Amino acid sequence: MNVIETDNLTKYYDRLCAVDAISLSVGHEIFGLLGPNGSGKTTTMRMLTTLLRPDAGDAWISGHHVVNEAREVRNRLSYVPQEMAVDINLTGRENVALFAHLYGVENVKDRVDEMLGLMLLSQRADDLVKTYSGGMRRRLELAQALVHEPEVLFLDEPTIGLDVAARKNIWEHITALRDKGMTIFVNTHYMDEADRACDRVGIIDRGRLIAVDTPGNLKDRIQDDVITVRVSGKFDGRIDADVRYMGQVDDELMFTAGKGSEAVPRLAEALTGKGMKVHAISVREATLDDVFLRLVTSKTDEEGRFDGHGFRLMLRRR
Amino acid sequence: MKRLVYYLQRDLTRWLRRKIAVISALITPAAWLIFVGLTLPTTFTDNYLDFITPGILVMSMLGTSLQGGSLLMFDKILGFLNKFLALPAPRETILFGKILFITIRGLIQTTVILILAFLLGASMYDPLTLMATYIILFLFGVLFSSLSTTLALQLDDHDSYAAVNAMVSMPLFFTSTALMPYNVMPAWLRVIAHLNPVSYAIDAIRMLGTDIIPWANLLGLAVAAVIVLLICIRRFRRVTV
Ligand SMILES: Nc1ncnc2c1ncn2[C@@H]1O[C@H](COP(=O)(O)OP(=O)(O)OP(=O)(O)O)[C@@H](O)[C@H]1O
Ligand SMILES: [Mg+2]
Repeated sequence: MNVIETDNLTKYYDRLCAVDAISLSVGHEIFGLLGPNGSGKTTTMRMLTTLLRPDAGDAWISGHHVVNEAREVRNRLSYVPQEMAVDINLTGRENVALFAHLYGVENVKDRVDEMLGLMLLSQRADDLVKTYSGGMRRRLELAQALVHEPEVLFLDEPTIGLDVAARKNIWEHITALRDKGMTIFVNTHYMDEADRACDRVGIIDRGRLIAVDTPGNLKDRIQDDVITVRVSGKFDGRIDADVRYMGQVDDELMFTAGKGSEAVPRLAEALTGKGMKVHAISVREATLDDVFLRLVTSKTDEEGRFDGHGFRLMLRRR
Repeated sequence: MKRLVYYLQRDLTRWLRRKIAVISALITPAAWLIFVGLTLPTTFTDNYLDFITPGILVMSMLGTSLQGGSLLMFDKILGFLNKFLALPAPRETILFGKILFITIRGLIQTTVILILAFLLGASMYDPLTLMATYIILFLFGVLFSSLSTTLALQLDDHDSYAAVNAMVSMPLFFTSTALMPYNVMPAWLRVIAHLNPVSYAIDAIRMLGTDIIPWANLLGLAVAAVIVLLICIRRFRRVTV
């Protein structure tokens, strides 16, 4: 049995099905659960951390059942919720020591020092947390969570509200923990971060798990590149080049093509030939964002066909 | 048990570092003691300070206990409770820690009032009376902090919680024997005052002053405290499955 196993895990809030029969198996890796607001990420995590009782289905952490062996499960995990909950009128050291004591850790003092050091907080350990930046507070929460050496770490939106440098820093810590053998389950809606850091991701939409794979494999599902052309002049939607027209947003035209950079010269020529002026062209590979929106939109489309309108919406978002 | 102490210590440290909160918690009841105890014209007793001190003691315990429910509510709203619930320690420890903290904080406040009352000329309590007074206040504190914590677990937003508290605390105080004995009350008030748990605690402390040990009141408060505490535990388990 893998580190995290779920079997048809389901949760209702009244009639709303917040988590719909999720079956998942996570090993020693960084697993990212991706989904838009309200898709059921937090609810899933709270069932796995024994904070919510599933309405149907089962889940096991390191072979222990989350309902029947809740105590065993809690002994093995740490949970950092979405809200940043650290006591701002206590020092960093006091915050970590509280958790060390509550976990019943031996050698509290050394262990606290070690964790503060690991999270690069030693210098500020004795300052009140109200003087800490957002990034430092997140690292402090990680220090609290790691103080009892959990087997599994659950992080709900660990980088929300942080600046670019602080985000990068948090992900570096998470990756280092994975390398030390910890299993990390992360909720996020930042696709780019998941793409870079997660070994595998699951995409969840309205409570349903619609895809689970490595970011690379998921991106391979969209083989086309996306070409954006900034032009002036009116475009009639017809083009004599090996590209597919996707739509127009302000003065930018969107196309997709199998090999984007090779299609660019023909495309530029064709557009100029139609009497338009081309100002700029950019080509990019499909991102996890594109995958996500493609999956979500094609699901809403009943036959599972490619949904052009959804795709245009997605392009507009960039 | 050890973990209870750590939860307690967390709340205590957080409270003590908020200087304004501490000062206000200590000054407000003292102001009551001075303004009510020394200025109210009364005819039914020649030492009103002796009479009013138990009333003020119980009143501050009532106020601080009723407010105390907001502690767990904020822990819930701010995400602390989720972190604590995911710990392997028995979950009820969180609840017991809160109730104990609220009660101990109340006892600190009442100690300040007692000292002030003695300085202002109230008759000194002998050690046994003092101890019994603390036991009564402790039971009373557990009763009402369990009540307010149950309320906080029941309600989801702080505004409605504060509203219910305001609605409850004033009538409880004014329909008790805090300000006047039964025999000078209008008849309707006397009936209510006899039913009011706040009177039980106040009467008990006054009886101690006349060298009677108020067994019935003690037992009544203890039973009520245990019952409300059990309801609170049940509610807590339900909310946190
Ligand atoms: N306590 C609750 N009572 C009723 N409905 C709830 C409750 N908690 C969540 N929901 C609903 O369940 C659904 C899933 O919520 P959840 O918090 O799991 O989403 P999420 O993916 O974590 O979203 P976000 O990215 O905004 O954190 C949402 O529609 C939400 O409104
Ligand atoms: Mg969430």
